[in-house]
Amino acid sequence: MAKLDIPLILIGALASAALLIPALDVGLGKARNAKFSGYFTLLILAFALLILTIGGLGLVPLDSSVPNLVQNDLLGVFFSFVVILVALLVTVTSFDYMKDNPNVSIYYSLLLFTSLGMVVLSFAVDLLMIFVAWELMSLPTFILAGFKKGDKLSNEAAVKYFILGALSSGVLLYGMSIIFGLSGSTNLNVVLNSLTNISPNMIPLAGFGAVMLIAGFGLKLSIVPFHMWIPDAYEGAPTTVSALLSAATKKAGFVAAIRVFAVLFPLLRFDLSMSLAIIALATMTLGNLSALTQKSITRMLAYSSIAQGGYLLIGLVVLPTSTLGLSGLLYHSLNHALLQATAFIAAAVVRYKTSKTSISSYNGLARVMPITAFSLMIALLGLVGIPPLNGFWSKLVLFTAAADGGFAWLALGGLVNTAISLGYYGIIVKRMYMDEPAEKVSIKEPFAMAAVLLITSAIIILTGIFPGPVFEFASRASTQFLSGI
Amino acid sequence: MEPLSSYFLLSLVLLAIGIYGLIAKRNAIRLLFAVEIIINSATINFVAFSRYLQEPVITGQTFSLFAIALAATEAAVGLAIIVQAFRLNKDIDVLELKRLKG
Repeated sequence: MAKLDIPLILIGALASAALLIPALDVGLGKARNAKFSGYFTLLILAFALLILTIGGLGLVPLDSSVPNLVQNDLLGVFFSFVVILVALLVTVTSFDYMKDNPNVSIYYSLLLFTSLGMVVLSFAVDLLMIFVAWELMSLPTFILAGFKKGDKLSNEAAVKYFILGALSSGVLLYGMSIIFGLSGSTNLNVVLNSLTNISPNMIPLAGFGAVMLIAGFGLKLSIVPFHMWIPDAYEGAPTTVSALLSAATKKAGFVAAIRVFAVLFPLLRFDLSMSLAIIALATMTLGNLSALTQKSITRMLAYSSIAQGGYLLIGLVVLPTSTLGLSGLLYHSLNHALLQATAFIAAAVVRYKTSKTSISSYNGLARVMPITAFSLMIALLGLVGIPPLNGFWSKLVLFTAAADGGFAWLALGGLVNTAISLGYYGIIVKRMYMDEPAEKVSIKEPFAMAAVLLITSAIIILTGIFPGPVFEFASRASTQFLSGI
Repeated sequence: MEPLSSYFLLSLVLLAIGIYGLIAKRNAIRLLFAVEIIINSATINFVAFSRYLQEPVITGQTFSLFAIALAATEAAVGLAIIVQAFRLNKDIDVLELKRLKG
């Protein structure tokens, strides 16, 4: 029976499409290609999603032709599914959002390249492959953040994001060099074997390497104290790109962190767990408290994204002791990606139609743009974790895992944070549904955007009412991964 | 001193210089230089480890070549963004970039 080599297929499909699209500018002419490239990107991403679904359901056995570089496992399939889904939603939203930009085909090409980087990163098990995929993921997003060339805010976001992003890859590379020096190999499985019988006087050096890796990953995962660039980048960048950065790039960073730390943990188990737990609590608290005082919706969502990163980090904290933590991380990644993408896309619709991002402009939105307001409400309530929505279940799993793993204070901190977060999510829902709009003229939402918002809201509600299948998938992926190391 | 520790010391010094540059400098191009210095310090590490391990392997050299190529692409993207910043603001002092705040 045929085996499915997902990374190979996706690399071929995404890379060739990404290279072809700008070239078609010459063949078709810029104006015609602007429309065509969007639909073509959508087609390719839908194809990728189909392949991942087939692989994830286990219809065809998975196999990799280069198992030393990329491991074709369910963990990779799960995260690739998340990032491709987000990229697909962002693409459809961009049909209208990017319509007036003269370089649309480049935009879609970069979108495909960064998706490719994230997919490869999800599967990579070699430090070299992780680093190359990391750069392939980061470089296009630097350009995307500054894609509105003449816009000073967009450019400022790109400069800040670039400096910190380049620092993150530099520091990450340094951490990798130390791991390589200690183990003599870059393949994570070999690294694991040689690090388990390392001489004790090398432990401090390994600790230094771990710190460098945490810093390098942390800059992308937006954990405290490496979060300063996030609000600026998310606010200044085109809002569709912010959706991609928050919902997809961050998740891809997490999968690399999972694979690397699963190797490092056996070496310095207790210290790393404890320090990650403190970082997680600091991240969620700081994110939530800062979000309370924001005046711009994209900035508020950026801080909320930081806070959610803190919840996700719980999964890494309990990685050595339980599979539940990792399942929770995966499950929350998918839910958070959906919720955050919906919220940012709703913000993009409002910005596209009214060119406003301030929270006060959301007064009475329910009467002006009912579909947008409804989806934004669903997304925000899901981000708080209101019971029938999917965000509730994944938070429940994460906090249970924390309490089981001996970090009861972390679970408690998470609950307190959830209560705080209700403050700023709730205020927007209140503004949208209870306050009077400034002008009572209803605005028509573009069809593609409204469709995306309705579909994502439906998924959020359905996976909230029937959480079984998604959680099943997440726990299968994490069990397979943890039994493999 | 044995060669490996002196190379490692060199890379640590370069890392420190890079981090100092990122903290103390305000010109965007200088920040880019600082990041490049950090990447190069890691590259030195890779080559040195690769040569002086108990069983020398070629992986480190390969990795360093990849790192050099990727650092170059990163510099290209970064310079493009910084040039655009200069066109818009007539200045590349990063402390003057403070429109996004809150």
